[in-house]
Amino acid sequence: MRRAILFLLLPLIIGCQPREEVTTEKLSATRLLSAVDQQGFARAEKPRDFIFPQDHGPHPAFRNEWWYFTGNLQDQSGRRFGYQVTFFRFALTPPSKKPSVSQWSNNPVWMAHAAITDSEAKRHLKQEKLVRAGPGLAGSEAQPFRVWVEDWQLQQGKAGLPWKIHINSETFSLDLDVEPTIGVVLQGDKGLSQKSAEPGNASYYYSYPRLKSNGQIRINEKQYRVSGHSWFDREWGTSALSPEQTGWDWFSLQFNSGYNLMFYHLRNRQGKADPFSAGSWIDKAGKTKRLSLDQIELTPLRWWKSANGNNYPVEWEMRIKSENRLLNIKPILDEQEMDLSVRYWEGAVDIYERGKSIGSGYLEMTGY
Amino acid sequence: MVGSRLRLAGFRHQRKHGWQTALAILGIALGVAVVMAVSLANQSASRAFAITMEQISGRVSHQILGGPSGIPEKLYTRLRLEQSHLKSAPVVEGVVRIGQEQFTLLGLDPLSEQPFRTMTRLPGTGVLTRLLTQQNGLLFSSYTAKRLGLSAGDKITLAIAARSPEVELLALFGEQQGAVLDGVLVADIATAQTLLEQPGKLDRIDLTLTPDAIAPLQTWLPKGYQLVETRQRTSAMEDMSKAFQTNLTAMSLLALLVGGFLIYNTATFSVLQRRRQFGIMRLLGATRSELFRVILFEQLIIGLIGTAIGMGAGILLARQLLWLVTRTINDLYYTVTISRLDLAPEIIITGITLGLVTTLLASAAPAWEATRARPQSVNRRSAIEQQSHRAIPWLLFIGLSTMGGGLWLAQNSDRSLLLGFAALFCFIMGYCLLVPAMVPTLSRLIQYPIKWLFGTIGRLATRGIDATLSRTGPAIAALTLAIAATIGMGIMVDSFRTTVGQWLTQTIQGDVYISAPNSSSKRASAPLPNGLPAKALKLDGVREVSTGRHVTVESETGPVNLLAIGLASTSYRGFNFKGDTLADLWQQFSTGKLVLVSEPYAYHNRLKTGDKVTLLTPLGNQSFTVGGIFYDYGSDRGLLVMPREHYAKLWQDQAVTTLGIYLKKTATLESVLTQVKTLTSEYDQPLTVRANQEILKHSLEIFDRTFTITQVLRLLVIAVAFVGILSAMMALQLERAKEHAILRATGLTPRQLLGQITLQTLLMGVMAALLAMPLGWLMAEILIHVINVRAFGWSMPSQLSTTILIEAGLFALIASLLAGLYPSLRMARTQPALALREE
Repeated sequence: MRRAILFLLLPLIIGCQPREEVTTEKLSATRLLSAVDQQGFARAEKPRDFIFPQDHGPHPAFRNEWWYFTGNLQDQSGRRFGYQVTFFRFALTPPSKKPSVSQWSNNPVWMAHAAITDSEAKRHLKQEKLVRAGPGLAGSEAQPFRVWVEDWQLQQGKAGLPWKIHINSETFSLDLDVEPTIGVVLQGDKGLSQKSAEPGNASYYYSYPRLKSNGQIRINEKQYRVSGHSWFDREWGTSALSPEQTGWDWFSLQFNSGYNLMFYHLRNRQGKADPFSAGSWIDKAGKTKRLSLDQIELTPLRWWKSANGNNYPVEWEMRIKSENRLLNIKPILDEQEMDLSVRYWEGAVDIYERGKSIGSGYLEMTGY
Repeated sequence: MVGSRLRLAGFRHQRKHGWQTALAILGIALGVAVVMAVSLANQSASRAFAITMEQISGRVSHQILGGPSGIPEKLYTRLRLEQSHLKSAPVVEGVVRIGQEQFTLLGLDPLSEQPFRTMTRLPGTGVLTRLLTQQNGLLFSSYTAKRLGLSAGDKITLAIAARSPEVELLALFGEQQGAVLDGVLVADIATAQTLLEQPGKLDRIDLTLTPDAIAPLQTWLPKGYQLVETRQRTSAMEDMSKAFQTNLTAMSLLALLVGGFLIYNTATFSVLQRRRQFGIMRLLGATRSELFRVILFEQLIIGLIGTAIGMGAGILLARQLLWLVTRTINDLYYTVTISRLDLAPEIIITGITLGLVTTLLASAAPAWEATRARPQSVNRRSAIEQQSHRAIPWLLFIGLSTMGGGLWLAQNSDRSLLLGFAALFCFIMGYCLLVPAMVPTLSRLIQYPIKWLFGTIGRLATRGIDATLSRTGPAIAALTLAIAATIGMGIMVDSFRTTVGQWLTQTIQGDVYISAPNSSSKRASAPLPNGLPAKALKLDGVREVSTGRHVTVESETGPVNLLAIGLASTSYRGFNFKGDTLADLWQQFSTGKLVLVSEPYAYHNRLKTGDKVTLLTPLGNQSFTVGGIFYDYGSDRGLLVMPREHYAKLWQDQAVTTLGIYLKKTATLESVLTQVKTLTSEYDQPLTVRANQEILKHSLEIFDRTFTITQVLRLLVIAVAFVGILSAMMALQLERAKEHAILRATGLTPRQLLGQITLQTLLMGVMAALLAMPLGWLMAEILIHVINVRAFGWSMPSQLSTTILIEAGLFALIASLLAGLYPSLRMARTQPALALREE
């Protein structure tokens, strides 16, 4: 759900507005929710049966959909890397029964973001692709499983798993094999993730909270063999946030103990936490406990100002009341802003408890 | 002190001779106006083209092009998936019409556009979503919308080939002021493909490449596609119309040349009339340089007024010429909308400079002459006449050498069009210098017959011409030039038209032709329905059919028109070859190894029979041997011809664009025509059915249409010349008022005087007409055999038309008659004593 807002910004991006306007418009992104017509799309109204591997593939009846990878990797020498690879689909028109003359008609728009954080060199590299489906420029297929935006690809291997991620840009490339070590985790109510009070304002949401990852990173001309853990989120729906909801802080944390935590912290206009903020606590075997806002207490500890003047709370204190734990979450690099068509902060973080490093994860912050 | 007196005297003189001053101003104004109008129209056309290309191409450095059927969009997908680091965008392009006006429909993918163009940067988000999702949404430039009186939200019916879909104007782009992108409509690529009915096809792929990315892409590119540099292609397109525009400019300069003569004439008279006054001024203490400056200043003022009026008139005239230029360019070269006059400062400055410099140059000679004379001798008019006669050998020498130089230049400037025009101008100028030298001889020749016919009056008239050579010489030269210009241009157009007529008669061998109107593609003409040729062949009275496919293919030197023909047995006669052809031409032609090239194509590409032409086919570059060069006046860009079955195989294009029907000897045209019309009406697509004669008529109409602008310019040159003659002759006769008064006082009746003056001007007209005929004919020869060949690559025989010569003679007589009328009437009415006292 967190990424839903990104889509709502799309029409702005496509308009190729000067950056200043994007910034000012950004806050009113939620306004666009009502502007984009939801008529004719299917809606996530009640829990459904998930069928795999079909559900890894596209759901064109819904307006938006995404495939979201983040992960922490290191090479043989221990050099730390964070990465993010995301594919978004956003339909501009409901699926039509009439076949169209042109392959370019009624196209969904696809956006892909890729980033690599190199903590040792203190650099954060990012790249974006924004294309329409057209004659096979971007798309998704269930079997064999494949998602692609031009040459950026996510596809299943010969035997199904591991999946292969391929990203290539001028400054960096990423080739990663990822294989889940914990099965599918259905988020929210059996995979139905409620966004706001209005019925139907929800999405279908599942995760692979821990994937074993192996592969290569190239930065400029230098190659690194890397391995580590990734997190995969899948979500689709037609809903929108309420106009009151202005941004979020989203945590996906992987503890060295094998436990995992996801929590999205929605903020309203007053900067207060929205009651629909939620998450899950997942053990080694994939057993899940739902987390609600009253179980989690979040406090920003340190703010960082980006070159664009955006202020992000990059360091947090997280209290998990039910588990009686107090965590300190710190970025491996402050400068992990995704200053692309949509501007947000998405970066690798470390988890500390009583001064000791106990895991790593990813943090996403928008609406700042 | 003396200077201001001099100036005042000059002012009084001009006021007293208001007619003369007005005519001088009119002459300058007309000359400047014609030059201004033509350069403005030309400049506007070039700029409109450049701006349109710049906006359409944006920051596109290279383009991938395919054959006549475009590029399959899967190639773009492959490019994006395999060469994603390159900046590229798909483009669909077609021709649509709103009412009678043609527009380029540009289909773009707004998401790929950012590195290239700004048209799809729209205010607000709703419009973009609608552009992407609404199947019939278009964007107009603000300027076009304003011009057509449209605003966002309006529904418009387009005409695309034979269809007329309704579209909606979603939003405007660009500013209202600049005529930027007038004539271009923008749509989403899906909408464009749907409207143009070309699903799966792109017209080109735009790229921005760094130099090191070019070679790898070329290696990657599959066969049958070409990577071309945008700048090169744009300039190749611009070059197409350059020859046409150069011709217009040259013709406008001819008008200025005539105008310059006119200024020279009036300035000379204005100075000559005041020689006595200047002599007195000199005696009173005015220095030579003072006098010189005053005269120049005075002429400069006249020049300024004339130039100012000329500029205004030029701008008004340019508006009229602009649509003629646009129409010709659209008929012959490329689609461009020029709705706005581009008042470029450099053209305004050139106009002012031309007007003033011509005035100053033309008046410097008489001013110099007036100040150089010794004050005592200024009264003696014979002095200057003696000088004039003494100058004759010099004039002869300079004139002949200039003409010789012109001829030499024409022969030794290879293919340069500009040098061709320079040669033409040298030749003309040289001839004009000869004219005064020939006047005494001519007047002596006609002296006796005229005396015999008209007695003393006749003798007075002829001797007067010779005696006042300093004035009659330039006047006759100006008249000669003007008449020659009309003769030369007339013969050229006439020869051209006759040649085209003959060529058409020979080329159009079929009896009935079927074609589809208005193609929506820029590369191929609209195809006929499948199966039509077979059905046509079955009609009663039809002996055989020929088929043709008109397309544009890519060659090494840019796009080239290709006609693929399925020949009927008699259509071979339609080709008239220039020079030798290969042996067994038609047999070899049918094997598909040969192409026939048109004369302009051969000229522009320096090809001869047996040379190779390389064309881009879907299988890659393929070379063909030139089997023969045929005469063709259809396009100055050139045309290649190959058998249709081979074209269809190579380019995988079975479509037919034209169908020629040949009748059996027994069949009547009416019955077959009726059958064909019944057959074509069965199809939804509207088809044009024309009989042989109709096509001939229609083609000649188009020919006349494209030469309208030449005719207009010819008329303008005539107008300038007419005013020139009028003012020169009038000034000449008015200046001789005293002489006339003496004649009256010594017994000449007003009627006799009228006769004498009229006779004299008429004689000058006749002399000019006689002298103009050889010059006009020679000009036509140079225009046809040097200029036309270099500009368009067309060769043709010149034909001397008596009608044109008679017209020109009549024009000279009427102009000189009219010019003589006013002064003679005036003199006839004035009391001789009064006239004598006045002096």
